[in-house]
Amino acid sequence: MEYVRVHPQVREYEVFARKARAEALHLVGSVVAPDDDLARAYARATYDEERWVELVIVPKDALLTLWAPGEEGPDS
Amino acid sequence: MTPGTQPATGTQERFDALMKRGELIESPSEMTPDYLKELKHTLIVSGDTELISAPAYYLAARKAPSVNAFMTGIAIIQDELAHAHIAYHILEELGESQEALIFKRDPKSFRYPYAFDVPLESWTELVVANAMYDQAGFCLLGDIHHHCSYGPWKRGLVKVMAEENFHLRNGRNWCKRISQAGGAAREELQRAVDWMFPLTVEWFGLPDSLKQHNTQLDYRLKGLTNDQLRQQWLATVVPFMESIGVAVPAHQVDSHYELEYPFPCTFDAGSKRWNFKDACTWDDVLARWRARGPRNAEMVALFQESFKTFKVPG
Repeated sequence: MEYVRVHPQVREYEVFARKARAEALHLVGSVVAPDDDLARAYARATYDEERWVELVIVPKDALLTLWAPGEEGPDS
Repeated sequence: MTPGTQPATGTQERFDALMKRGELIESPSEMTPDYLKELKHTLIVSGDTELISAPAYYLAARKAPSVNAFMTGIAIIQDELAHAHIAYHILEELGESQEALIFKRDPKSFRYPYAFDVPLESWTELVVANAMYDQAGFCLLGDIHHHCSYGPWKRGLVKVMAEENFHLRNGRNWCKRISQAGGAAREELQRAVDWMFPLTVEWFGLPDSLKQHNTQLDYRLKGLTNDQLRQQWLATVVPFMESIGVAVPAHQVDSHYELEYPFPCTFDAGSKRWNFKDACTWDDVLARWRARGPRNAEMVALFQESFKTFKVPG
């Protein structure tokens, strides 16, 4: 989806993190930024509520949805 | 997609089934138009409240008694802006324009508690706000975090709850320290609590006796009533203030707290004084809220001004 921002072209990034090595990465939020570097900076500044052992961002349009909640998967 | 056009395309039957099973709603394709409307309204109040706390706290943080204290104040403001971002970004995913919501609205149309319109003018007032206003936010958002039927918001609030807890601790630590300092510092603390306590009691809205139907409860956007949340707040703030030797106009009776003044009553924002001898009606209170208070326009200008000045042509 298109976002209106000060910068004419922005992308949305999903933010994934985990607190402990034993945990799996999980979605903690998202940021909207004009490039990867600013997206990194926004994610670091915004999602600083824990001392994460890992913090990763992924452009949202890189996620390929097979099915979403309420949609039928192959086994349902 | 054009902002403002996100449709709620769920069928009533499927929506009712999800609600009945206690499931989370995950996207507009599972919502009815009325649920979407109520969710957006609740998110706007939440986003506006977080956003306005930033300029309100900033104007007082400048009076910090040390660089360390100032940095703590700024860290709290940064948290509040991130919390606002969470609410506004969800609104954006529901078809609203974040830019329009933050930068293009009239100051009077922001939907946040009246308390923030009364200027916080000292470090003492700022830390009392952390102890009482953030406690109110903690009660309200904790309830939404626990009960909210909209999945993305429920998950987004994990971060918010962790950070509000830090704001509360900061407020309580400083209130205790100021009380222990005694003398004029303690008198200033008592004066701040005197006007800020009843404003926070009011924060939770109309009493249940006047608000008989609550759509937010029907849709599980929240789980507790205004009076239940008010009692929860009183049950944490009253014992804390008493424990540090600060008087508050409420006391415990059995399992609930009773106010020692007519609720509601009149407030003069200019002098920051309540008149406990002048009971008023909720219509009077609603009129005061709608007119907004002294600092509304100044605070909104603090975050809208840079946008207008430095707007890059698209």
